[in-house]
Amino acid sequence: MAEFVRLDSSTSRHTMDKSITLPPDEIFRNLENAKRFAIDIGGSLTKLAYYSTVQHKVAKVRSFDKATKEAASDKLYEISVQEEVTARLHFIKFENAYIETCLDFIKDHLVNTETKVIKATGGGAHKFKELIERKLGLKVDKEDEMTCLIKGCNFVLRNIPHEAFVYAKHADSEFRFQTTQPDIFPYLLVNIGSGVSIVKVESEDKFERIGGSSIGGGTFWGLGALLTKTKRFDELLQLASKGQHTSVDMLVKDIYGGSYGSLGLTGDLIASSFGKSATADKEFSKEDMAKSLLHMISNDIGQLACLYAKLHNLSRVYFGGFFIRGHPVTMHTITYSINFFTKGEVQALFLRHEGYLGAIGAFLKGAEEDNPNQYSWGENYAGSSGLMSVSPDMNPMQRARSGTFDMLEMDRLERQLVNLPLLQDPSSYIPDTMDLTEDALAREYWLYCFEEALDGVVKRAVASQPDMPEAAERAEKFRQKYRHKLQTLRHQPFAYGSLTVRSLLDTREHCLNEFNFPDPYSKIKQNENDIALKYYQKAVKSLEELSWEERQFALVRGVLAGNVFDWGAKAVSDVLESDPEFGFEQAKRQLEERPWLVDSYDQWLERLRGPPHKCALFFVDNSGVDIILGVIPFVRELLSRGTEVVLASNSGPALNDVTNGELQILTERIAAMDPVIQAGLREDRLTLVQSGSSSPCLDLSRLDKVLAQVVRERQTDLVIIEGMGRAIHTNYYAMLSCESLKMAVIKNSWLADRLGGKLFSVVFKYEVPAGKPSQGSAAVTPS
Amino acid sequence: IFFSTSRHTMDKSITLPPDEIFRNLENAKRFAIDIGGSLTKLAYYSTVQHKVAKVRSFDKATKVNIPEAASDKLYEISVQEEVTARLHFIKFENAYIETCLDFIKDHLVNTETKVIKATGGGAHKFKELIERKLGLKVDKEDEMTCLIKGCNFVLRNIPHEAFVYAKHADSEFRFQTTQPDIFPYLLVNIGSGVSIVKVESEDKFERIGGSSIGGGTFWGLGALLTKTKRFDELLQLASKGQHTSVDMLVKDIYGGSYGSLGLTGDLIASSFGKSATADKEFSKEDMAKSLLHMISNDIGQLACLYAKLHNLSRVYFGGFFIRGHPVTMHTITYSINFFTKGEVQALFLRHEGYLGAIGAFLKGAEEDNPNQYSWGENYAGSSGLMSVSPDMNPMQRARSGTFDMLEMDRLERQLVNLPLLQDPSSYIPDTMDLTEDALAREYWLYCFEEALDGVVKRAVASQPDMPEAAERAEKFRQKYRHKLQTLRHQPL
Repeated sequence: MAEFVRLDSSTSRHTMDKSITLPPDEIFRNLENAKRFAIDIGGSLTKLAYYSTVQHKVAKVRSFDKATKEAASDKLYEISVQEEVTARLHFIKFENAYIETCLDFIKDHLVNTETKVIKATGGGAHKFKELIERKLGLKVDKEDEMTCLIKGCNFVLRNIPHEAFVYAKHADSEFRFQTTQPDIFPYLLVNIGSGVSIVKVESEDKFERIGGSSIGGGTFWGLGALLTKTKRFDELLQLASKGQHTSVDMLVKDIYGGSYGSLGLTGDLIASSFGKSATADKEFSKEDMAKSLLHMISNDIGQLACLYAKLHNLSRVYFGGFFIRGHPVTMHTITYSINFFTKGEVQALFLRHEGYLGAIGAFLKGAEEDNPNQYSWGENYAGSSGLMSVSPDMNPMQRARSGTFDMLEMDRLERQLVNLPLLQDPSSYIPDTMDLTEDALAREYWLYCFEEALDGVVKRAVASQPDMPEAAERAEKFRQKYRHKLQTLRHQPFAYGSLTVRSLLDTREHCLNEFNFPDPYSKIKQNENDIALKYYQKAVKSLEELSWEERQFALVRGVLAGNVFDWGAKAVSDVLESDPEFGFEQAKRQLEERPWLVDSYDQWLERLRGPPHKCALFFVDNSGVDIILGVIPFVRELLSRGTEVVLASNSGPALNDVTNGELQILTERIAAMDPVIQAGLREDRLTLVQSGSSSPCLDLSRLDKVLAQVVRERQTDLVIIEGMGRAIHTNYYAMLSCESLKMAVIKNSWLADRLGGKLFSVVFKYEVPAGKPSQGSAAVTPS
Repeated sequence: IFFSTSRHTMDKSITLPPDEIFRNLENAKRFAIDIGGSLTKLAYYSTVQHKVAKVRSFDKATKVNIPEAASDKLYEISVQEEVTARLHFIKFENAYIETCLDFIKDHLVNTETKVIKATGGGAHKFKELIERKLGLKVDKEDEMTCLIKGCNFVLRNIPHEAFVYAKHADSEFRFQTTQPDIFPYLLVNIGSGVSIVKVESEDKFERIGGSSIGGGTFWGLGALLTKTKRFDELLQLASKGQHTSVDMLVKDIYGGSYGSLGLTGDLIASSFGKSATADKEFSKEDMAKSLLHMISNDIGQLACLYAKLHNLSRVYFGGFFIRGHPVTMHTITYSINFFTKGEVQALFLRHEGYLGAIGAFLKGAEEDNPNQYSWGENYAGSSGLMSVSPDMNPMQRARSGTFDMLEMDRLERQLVNLPLLQDPSSYIPDTMDLTEDALAREYWLYCFEEALDGVVKRAVASQPDMPEAAERAEKFRQKYRHKLQTLRHQPL
C-alpha cells in the first residue's frame, strides 16, 4: 500500500508515538463490498462508518440421503463447509490529520458503484464537505448532530453487552462494566465537548436537550492554554494529572481553619477554585493550575448533571464527549464529583464506544430502510481494537502497536436476542461467575491457561482441514492474532468489557472464524457422535433394569460422567488425546463420590417423588457421549414422567459443543431406535431450539427470540443447565424464577481449587426460588 | 486627617469626621463585627436622646382656675426629651480596622459591655487585635446563621429592601414591596465560593448547594489572566470587554443557530473556547468579560436548578461578587432570566453587605428580643445604596469616602398590615414611583428643594425660645439638600 507509506511518522504532526504500524487494509477491512457510508468529523478525530458484507466459511451438517446411505460409509451425517455472507458494520476512528490519505485509500478500494451518498455529522462536517465530495465522488448528506449522537447511543446500549462502565480509579479494577438493561430508557446523556449538552432520552425517537453549560472541554482547553501556554489538550491533561490543586484553590480549611461542621463542609472541600491566586503574590506551577482547572470544570459539570438527573428523576447518567473520551483523569474527576453531589445515589456511567456514537447514529440514519434496529448485533472481538487502545496513558508498547487508528466491528446476528423470560431479575443478572477484570490472580491464571492451550487449538484447526494446504498458514495467523489479543488483555483487561472466561472463549471463536476455521471440532464431534450412538440402546436398557430410585441416581451420574467428555477443558483433552479408549464407564469411575462438592441430590430426588414438572428447558453441552449417553436418557425419563422437554443447543459451533444442526440429526437417529423419544418428537413434547449463541458459555440475557417464546408458551417450570462453561463459568449464581438444576464436573484443577474441591469434583445444584416451595417436598436449599 | 494611612491613595481619603461615622458611641452597648475578605462591618446598639413634641389637654380642674390670660387653646404643647433605641451599622475597608478600633476605644464609655460578637472569615484573623484594642472578649458566631438572621431582619423591617436589577430599563432598580411572609426563600451568597441556602423560617435554614466557582474564581483566574490584582479593576476591565472574541458561540460551530435544539447563534457554546486553538493574544478586557459571563451564568444556572428542585420562587443574591456591582448584578439577572425563561427574578438586597453584622448583633441581643419590635431605617443616618460603588461619579464617591452607614430606629409600636387589605402581597402604598418616572422625579426633587427655605423658616419659628434654633435649622437645610442631591444622582 504505497500511498500509506506517506502516513509514517515523518508526516504526522506530533512525531511521538504516532507512527502507523498497521497496514491500511487491516484498518479499512472489507471495503470491496462496502456500501452505505457515514462520517462524523469532530474537532480532532474523524469517525468513519460503513456497512459491508463478509463472506466466510461455515460448517454445515446434513443427514445422508436414505438412498445413498449404504454406500457412503458408516458416518451418521456428512459435514460440508459452505460459504456464507453475513453483514458487518465497520467503524474506524483516526485523527483529522489523516483524513485526506484515508479518503484516497477508500476511493481506490471502493468498487461498489451503487453508493451515491455519504451521511455526515459532527462540527467538522461542513469544513471537509468539499474534500469528501471531491475525493470520494459521493454526495455529502448532513445529519443533525444530536440526533445522530442519541441514535448511536441507543444502538450501543442495546447491542453491546458491557457497553457501559463505572470508573473507579483506586479499585482493583478501574472499570466496572454494567450488564445490559432490558429497558435502556430513560437516561441522561451528558455530552462534554467544547461546551456541555445535557440531554434526556426517553425513547428511541424522543429526546430533549434539557440543559447545558458553556463550561466544558473547550473551557479546560482554552483557559488551560492561556494559563499554561500549553496548546495541546492531551498535554494539558497530563499536566493536570501531575498537579496539586490545593496550592491554587482556596479550601474550606483555608478560610475556617478546619471543617465547617454546622454546614457539613469538610476542611478539604474546595471553597473557591483559584481562590488563592486572587491575593497570593506568587507564581503558580502549570501543573497546579491545570489540576485546579480540571477540578473546577469536572465538579461543575458533575453538579449540573446531578441536578438535572434529580429534577427529571433519572438514575442513569452517561457521560461522553472529547473531554471524557479515553481519559482516565477526567473520568475520575467526573465520577468523584457525581459521588459527592449525589452522596453515591447516582453513578457516573461511561461508554466503551462513546467516540463512535455520532458515526453510528449517522450511519443508522442512512440505513433506515435496512431496518438495522430490527436485528441484534454483536461486537466482533477479532476486528475491534478494544477500549483505550489510543489512550496516551497506555504503555508505549501497546500504543505503538495500535497506532492512532481504532476500530470497531459489529456483526449482524442471524437471530434476534432477548432475555430468558425466567430470569428472576433481568436487570441484575450477571452471566459471568468470575470477573477477571477485578480478580488479578484469576486473570493471570486464565490468560496463562488460554495461552498454553493455543498450540493445541492451532493443531486441531489445521487437522480439521486436511485437504487444504494453506490451512497451516491461516492457523499461524490465527495464533498470532489471538496471542496478540491475549497480550492486549494482559495490559488492558477491560478492553472488551469485563474480562471473563466467557469473553476469552468467545474471542478465540471470533478469531478462528476470522481465519476461516468455522468449526475445527466438526470431525471429532462427528466421530464421537457415531461411537456414542452405538451404545445408546445398551445404555437405555441397563437403566431400565434399575429400580426407580437407583435409576434416578444413575441418570444423574450419567449426565455428569458424560460431561467429563470435553475437549474444551485442557485436563480432559490431554487425557482424551493420549488415551482414546477413555470410555464412559471410566468417566463414571472418575467421578467424585457423594457427598459432592455441591450436593442437593437428596432434595432433587425428593422433588422427583412429587408431581412431574410441566416443562423442562435443558441447555445442553458437548456432543458425543455427553449428549447421547448422558443427556438423552435423562430427557427420556422426564418425558416418561409426563414432563415436556425443550432442548436448547448452540446456533453455531463452539469447541465440541453440540450444535442445533447436529442435534436435529442425532435426535432423529435416536428416535428411530427409541419409541419414547420418537413419541416425544411426534407429539411435540420434545422440542429442539437453538440458543442463539455460538459460545461454550451461556448468557441468559441474549437468547434466541424463538427460544424465549417457546419457554413462555410451554409454561416452563424447570431449567437445567449442564457443563462447566454454562453452569460454572457462567450462571453459577444466576437466579431463576422457577426451579433450576445446575450440573457440572469441574475439569480444571485451578477452578476446583477455587471452589474448594478437586479435579472432577461434582456440582449438583438444585434450587427452588424463595417463596415458591416445590411441590411435594420441603423447601430446599443447596448445601 | 484621622485616617491618612489608606493603602490606595486615590479616592480613599476620608472626608467625614469619625464622629459622624461612629455616632452615639457614648451610649453604645452590644457590639458585633463581621470581618470579610476585604470589608469590616461593625454593628452596635445605642440609645439616642432627642426631643419630642407632646400635646396634652388642659386639666378640667385647673382649666377653670386658669386666668383668662392662659388663652383659649384646646391643649398644651410641650417638648420633652425621649430616649429611643437605635442600631448603628458601619462598613469600612479592612485596612482601617485598627484606626477604627482605636477611635471606638477612646469613645466607649459604657463599661457594661464585655463581649463583641464576631463573624465572617476574617474574624479569627483579627480576634487578637480586637481583644487587645477594645478590651472586649471576641465571641465567634456561625457565619451562615448570622447571614440568614440578618437577611430575615432586613427583609422584615426595611420596606423596599429587595430589588430587581434591569440595566437598560428607565430605572435600573425596581424595588419590591415587603411581603407579609418572607419565607421560604433561596439565598445565593457569592463570596469567594458560592453557598446556596434555603431559608424556611426564622430559625430553619439549610445549605442545599454550593459551588467553588465564585467571586474568588473571578478574582483569582482574572488576576492570572490579566495580571490585574484588584477585584474592582477586574470588573472595570470586564465591563469594557467583548466576550465574543474569547468565547466560542453556537454560530462559531454551526454557522448560525442550532434550531432543532433551540440554541440561538449568539449563545455561548464554550467559554474560552476560542482560546483553545486560536494562536493569538487576547485583550485583558475580553478575557475578563468572558470570565465574568462564565461565572455569572454558571451561578445563575445552579441557582435556578436549586430553586426549581425546592420549589422556591424568591431568590436573593448576595456576597462581595454582587455587592454594589451593577456589572455582576446585570450578568446574574441575565443568566436567571435565561435559565428560567423569566419565571424567576434575581433579587438583590440594599443592605446585603450588612447581613452578617446584623445577624451577629441580633445573636448577641437575643435577650432584648429585637425581633419583637419593628424597626425603621433612619434615612438621615444611612448612606444609601451604592455610595461606594466604583462606578459612581467621582463627586459622590469623594463625598462619602469609603465608609457606609445604616441606622435603624426601634419603633415604639409594632407595625402590621391592615387586615382589610385585599392582597397584602401586592399592596403598594405609593401612587407614583419617582424612581421609574424621570420627569416626575425631576419635578418633585425641584419642588422639595424650592420648599426647603420655607421649611427652614418654619422650623426656626417653631422654637422662638431657643437661640441656637437657627443654627440647627441651617444644619438641617444642608443635610436635606445633600440628600436631595444624592437622590438626583441615585434615585434609589
